[in-house]
Amino acid sequence: MLKRINGEDDMTGAEIPIRDADFPLPFVSGLEYNAPARGPWNIVHTGMLVPESHQVFACAQGCLRGVILTAAEMLEMGRMSWISVDKNDFFDGSLERNIVDGTAEIIRKLPKKPRALLLFISCVHLFAGCDFDAILDELRAMFPDIDFIDCYMNPTMRKSGLTPDQLMRRQLYAPFQPCPADPKTVNLIGNDRPTDGSSELVQLIRNAGWELRDITLCKDYEDYMHMAKSSLEITYLPTAKASGDALEKRLGRKHLYLPLSYDFDEIGRNLNIMADALGTAAPDWSDAKQNAVRVLEQAKEVVGDTPVEIDYTATPRPVGLAALLAEHGFRVTRVYTDAMIEEERPAFERLRTLAPDLLLTATVHAKMRFAGKGVHEHGDVLAIGQKAAYFSGTKHFVNIVSGGGMYGFDGVARLAKRMVEAATHEQDTELVIQHKGLGCRSCL
Amino acid sequence: MLKLAFYGKGGIGKSTTVSNLASAFAANGLKVMQIGCDPKADSTAALHGGTRIRSILDLVRERGNDFALDEMVRIGDGGVICVEAGGPTPGLGCAGRGIIAALEKLQEKGAYEAYKPDVVLYDVLGDVVCGGFSMPMRKGYADRVFILTSGETMSIYAAANIAMAVKNFKGRGYASLGGFVLNRRNVPDEDGKAAKLAADFDTVVAGALDWSETVQRAEQLGKTVVHAFPESPMAAQYRTLADAVLSIERKGDAPC
Repeated sequence: MLKRINGEDDMTGAEIPIRDADFPLPFVSGLEYNAPARGPWNIVHTGMLVPESHQVFACAQGCLRGVILTAAEMLEMGRMSWISVDKNDFFDGSLERNIVDGTAEIIRKLPKKPRALLLFISCVHLFAGCDFDAILDELRAMFPDIDFIDCYMNPTMRKSGLTPDQLMRRQLYAPFQPCPADPKTVNLIGNDRPTDGSSELVQLIRNAGWELRDITLCKDYEDYMHMAKSSLEITYLPTAKASGDALEKRLGRKHLYLPLSYDFDEIGRNLNIMADALGTAAPDWSDAKQNAVRVLEQAKEVVGDTPVEIDYTATPRPVGLAALLAEHGFRVTRVYTDAMIEEERPAFERLRTLAPDLLLTATVHAKMRFAGKGVHEHGDVLAIGQKAAYFSGTKHFVNIVSGGGMYGFDGVARLAKRMVEAATHEQDTELVIQHKGLGCRSCL
Repeated sequence: MLKLAFYGKGGIGKSTTVSNLASAFAANGLKVMQIGCDPKADSTAALHGGTRIRSILDLVRERGNDFALDEMVRIGDGGVICVEAGGPTPGLGCAGRGIIAALEKLQEKGAYEAYKPDVVLYDVLGDVVCGGFSMPMRKGYADRVFILTSGETMSIYAAANIAMAVKNFKGRGYASLGGFVLNRRNVPDEDGKAAKLAADFDTVVAGALDWSETVQRAEQLGKTVVHAFPESPMAAQYRTLADAVLSIERKGDAPC
């Protein structure tokens, strides 16, 4: 028998107090809901980071809708083309030929030849066993002055192997091939926004006389290809780790994964590892730590007992952030996350004691369909992240994704300041979250 | 590392021939890996007592990616490393996609680097009916394709189709055609038909195998002929075929 799941009186299965929750999967996977507040970038946004590049999507027309809308929102329609797939392509064996011919035609018709072409194939090509390598070989022979990057839009495989997000971040650096390294140069890999210059990580790099390279800072294709010559790779987002690992393997460069953290001990350890890799003495972090604590305390005075809700799109460590805030007196009442990464385990255990009633809430559970206009909407909440803002209905929220470029003790202090700003200023939540991919050109 | 793929019409005797070649190579001191690319997952049965082994797709279905390389293989008679790609439930799913997934999983788990076989034999189901079945002949997999056929019209027709596919893919750096293998069914002018087929594709008949009851007797024992009846004339034929295949490889480029 069908039962209406309106979320008004029973959210069983969609939320659970942390004291009773399983780690790392607190919820049963089933019928899923996708909230309009998306949060992170998608593969189109990320791909646009390659300067002077053009994207070609080969897929069914129905699947094109989302990617084209993203490009349109970014005002980057001139950097995207597409080849639609038809069932006849399977009957006459033209599935691969159409990609080669279509891409070649697109390139010839572009007003300016791109430096790189991101060619996306889709699920149907993978099911049919298309030889993507052969397609790319042929295109490379036709256009030797263009770097072709193999990209994938395969949502049917999003739960096996690398996620589309991880894969896209890995492919973002695919043109980089082994070459002599520039001394004292370091890449920050896999981010879609610059890291604050005030963070201890950036300061360490600059004070040691190293050059920081980051795709988000590249002005042209030369800048981007210079990254191939950097002597050290750093990642701090979990979704970027596979990218750093791939570069380490392919280029033979050292890769350091220094995960974004809200645990002061872990932050200090990561910064010390960085200092060691740079060949410089690690500073005493006491002042930076004390400053972070001081700013957190100031924020607490402003935020008071207002409930704080955090979602996983704001940071890959929402549980870690919740633990930090709870330890500094904030009333953290809810974390929106469907699963937790292993790095969250210590914070998860701490929170079970510190704030056992804190609710973990799924974002994709079918019952969440009504949460945005129903049981969760209570307004008097300080949200960190778009999904938390959407589900709670608050106008007070910190508008960040994937850590927001805030890293280290400085990152904690900056986030605390953003919380104060959010607590004291209202935003038009609906307007802000209407666009996908918060932070891209179309949304600022 | 020699990497050879064997194609041919269904029921022509690919698995029997490939398993006997594996035994013959192994008896000569070579480290052999046999990969069955057939949803039935019975390619290597004669190398381990007629029993079936757990296929890669069985493992993927049961455990996602949570299994180790050594769980994907079973060491059979003569030390042959046996692998079965497996496939979906008959009538459901996509067998070609299954082969792609299995071969990718083998590479991903580093099978070739870990076992370092001297010879890899891909035993591939039937005709090149979709992209999945052409996977073993792609760059990075087999270097040479051998096609089994009898003198029967339908078998020759299928063999010609496969040879045509190999030719079509040649420009892509795929495996080249090593030759045909005649598995005799005692039809009139069988050798002549095979020779004409080879001539049409500018290649050779790499070897010929007689129809023999010894093959059925070995199958009932769950063994290869080379292993069960090493002194038999049939075992000698398999050894001769193994030598011929090696000889084609040693000459460098195959005729086609």
